[in-house]
Amino acid sequence: MQIKPILSALRQHKAGTVLIAMQIALTLAIVCNALFIIQQRLAHLSEPSGIDETHLFVVENQWVGKPSPDQLDAQIRADLSALRQLSSVQDASVSNSYPLHGGGWDDGLKLKPDQANATTEAAIYFADEHMLATLGLKLIAGRNFRADEIGHMGIRDALAPPVIVITKALAEKLFPSVDGHANAALGKTVYLMSNRTTIIGIVDQLQSQSVARWAADFAHRSVLVPLRLVSPQGTYYLIQAKPGQLDAAMHAAEPTLLAQSRKRVISDKDGLLSFAEVRAHAYDSDYGMAVLMGIVCVVLLAITAAGIVGLTSFWVGQRRRQIGVRRALGATRRDILSYFMTENLLISSGGALLGVLLAVTMNLWLVIRFEMQHLSLLYVFIGVAILLLLGQCAVLAPAMRAAQVSPVEATRTV
Amino acid sequence: MLKMTHLSKVYRTEVVETYALRDFNIDVKEGEFVAVTGPSGSGKTTFLTIAGLLETFTGGEYHLDGVEVSHLNDNARSKIRNEKIGFIFQAFNLIPDLNVFDNVEVPLRYRGMKSAERKKRIMESLERVGLASRAKHYPAELSGGQQQRVAIARALAGSPRLLLADEPTGNLDTQMARSVLELLEEIHREGATIVMVTHDPELAARAQRNVHVIDGQVVDLAEDPRFHAHVAQVAEATHGR
Ligand SMILES: Nc1ncnc2c1ncn2[C@@H]1O[C@H](COP(=O)(O)OP(=O)(O)O)[C@@H](O)[C@H]1O
Ligand SMILES: [Mg+2]
Repeated sequence: MQIKPILSALRQHKAGTVLIAMQIALTLAIVCNALFIIQQRLAHLSEPSGIDETHLFVVENQWVGKPSPDQLDAQIRADLSALRQLSSVQDASVSNSYPLHGGGWDDGLKLKPDQANATTEAAIYFADEHMLATLGLKLIAGRNFRADEIGHMGIRDALAPPVIVITKALAEKLFPSVDGHANAALGKTVYLMSNRTTIIGIVDQLQSQSVARWAADFAHRSVLVPLRLVSPQGTYYLIQAKPGQLDAAMHAAEPTLLAQSRKRVISDKDGLLSFAEVRAHAYDSDYGMAVLMGIVCVVLLAITAAGIVGLTSFWVGQRRRQIGVRRALGATRRDILSYFMTENLLISSGGALLGVLLAVTMNLWLVIRFEMQHLSLLYVFIGVAILLLLGQCAVLAPAMRAAQVSPVEATRTV
Repeated sequence: MLKMTHLSKVYRTEVVETYALRDFNIDVKEGEFVAVTGPSGSGKTTFLTIAGLLETFTGGEYHLDGVEVSHLNDNARSKIRNEKIGFIFQAFNLIPDLNVFDNVEVPLRYRGMKSAERKKRIMESLERVGLASRAKHYPAELSGGQQQRVAIARALAGSPRLLLADEPTGNLDTQMARSVLELLEEIHREGATIVMVTHDPELAARAQRNVHVIDGQVVDLAEDPRFHAHVAQVAEATHGR
C-alpha cells in the first residue's frame, strides 16, 4: 500500500510522532502489567474455599472469668446444643479458626517420627462430629469423626489426636499416588508434631485460614482434629443456617448464647460475621488492588486516546491543502481515510514495539522488587491489541473529517 | 473534449448569492490549446475547478470526453481526475512532506500502478522537466520555477489527455514563465488538450485560441462593450503608472 510515502512524510513530523509513540509505549507497558496484576488478584479471590458459604456465619466468643477446662468444655457443648435447637439453624460446630479468617494454627506433618524436616505444613482446624455437615464439606473417602472420638484440649496441651481427617490436597502431598487417587492416604499413619495419628477420612476441599502469602504453600492442605479447644480466647462457633434463614439465625444466635451463660463477650464490631463479610474482608486488598489497576488502565487509555485525537486533528487541520491536492490528483475519500488510519497504525505499531520491551522490563523490575510473577505473553498480546484498536478508534473521527475535505481546497490561493 | 452549455455556478452564503458563472458556454476540442483570460474575479478559476471535476455546478450541462458528469458519484469523479486530467496550480501545490520523487508518485499510486512502472514514469517525466537530478530534494529546497516544473512532471506522469493550468506562471518571473510555457507547448504538440488560465497577454497570445471571461460569461471580444471598457481600464491603469 502507501506505507513508504507515509513513513517518509512522518519523518517531517518527528516531534509529534515520537511523542505519541512514546505515550503509546508507556501506556502499553503499564496496561499490560496492570491487566496481569488484575487477573492474578481476581484469580486469587475467586479461589474456592471448599465450604458452603451462602448460609454460614461465625460467632467469635471470648470467655470471662477463669473457668476450668472441664467447665469450659461443658459450656461449649451446652452452647452448641442450644444453637442446633434453633429453628433457623441447620447445624453448628466449634473450632479454633476457619477458612479466610486470617490467622490460626498450622503445623508440620511427617511421615516418620525421626524425619528431620516436615513433609508439609498444614492448617489445623479443631472439629467435632458436626463440622463436616456445618461447613458442607464433601467426604470423598473414609469416615467422619464419631461423637465418642471428640476430646478437648487446653491451649498449652500437646496436640495429639489419635485420628484425623485431611483434605485431598494434603493427602496427595503426603502420599502421592500414581493414578491420582487420594484414597492412598486413607488408613495411613502420619506424625503431627511427632505425635502418631491415623488418617480416617478425606474431604474434597478446605482452604487454609489465611489467603496471605505466608500461607500460600499450604493453601488447601488442612487437617481436622477431633478436639474442642478450651481456651479463654479463640472459640469460634460456626453456624450453618437453614436456606433463606441466615438473618434470622444471626439474630437468634447471640441471645441464645447469652441465655446459656452471660460469662462471655461477643464483640459488637466483629463478634458476629456472615461468611460473605469474612470473604470480603479477607480479599479487600486484592479487590482494592484490582480496582485501582483498572482505574489506572482506563485513565491511561483515555489520555492516550485523547492524545491521538488531538494530534491527528491538528495534523488534519495543518494538511487541509495537501489533502485537497491529493483529492485533486485522484485520491478517493477512502484513500484519504486510509491514509490517516494507516499513519496511526504505523505510529501505534512503533509505539507498541517499544512498549512490549518496556512492559517486559517493568515486569522484571516488579518481579525483583515485589516478588510478582513473570508476565504472561498473553497479556502483552492483549495490551498490544487494545492499544492498536484504541488508536484506530481514536483516529477515526479526525480521519473522517479529513476525508470530507473537498478537492477545491487545492485551488484556494493562500 | 470539454463542452459546457448554459452552465451556471452560484455560491450561496447566508447573505448573498454570487453568480461565479452564468450561462457559460465553451467547447474545447481534443488537442486544442486554449488560453482563458479575464479580469480578476470574473470566474476563471471557478470554470477550471468545474472543468477539472474539483467542484460541482449549479445548472446547465457539462460533457467531459462525451460523458455528462453531473450524475457521477465522488469515486467516479476521483477516477476521472486521476486518469484523464492533469492539474497545474498557481501555487504549485507540491506536498511539502514528500520529496520530488514521492510528489510525482502521488497520482500514480492512486491509480494502483505497479512500482516498476511508477518508477519508470516518474523518472521519465522528471527528465522531461529537467529535474531528474533533484528527485530526492524536498519542495522547500527548490526555486519557484523548479517547483512548478515538478508540478508539471506530476501532472504529466499519468499521461493525462486534458491539462488544466490556473495561472501556472503567476508566481514566476518572466524567464521562468517562458520556460514553463515552452514545456506546455511541447506537451500540446504531443497531443494533449490544454486549457490555461492566464493574466499575461503575451502568454495568451501563444495559445491557439483565446477565450475571454467577464462576469462569469464567455464573451466575444469584438462585440462586447464590457471588453472595450476593460481594455480602456487597463490602458488607463498602465498610463497612470
Ligand atoms: N468558495 C467561494 N465562495 C463564494 N464565492 C466565491 C467562491 N469562490 C469564488 N467565489 C466568487 O466567484 C467569483 C469568481 O471567482 P474566481 O473564479 O476565483 O475568479 P478568477 O479566478 O477569475 O479571479 C468571485 O466573485 C469570487 O468572489
Ligand atoms: Mg483565479
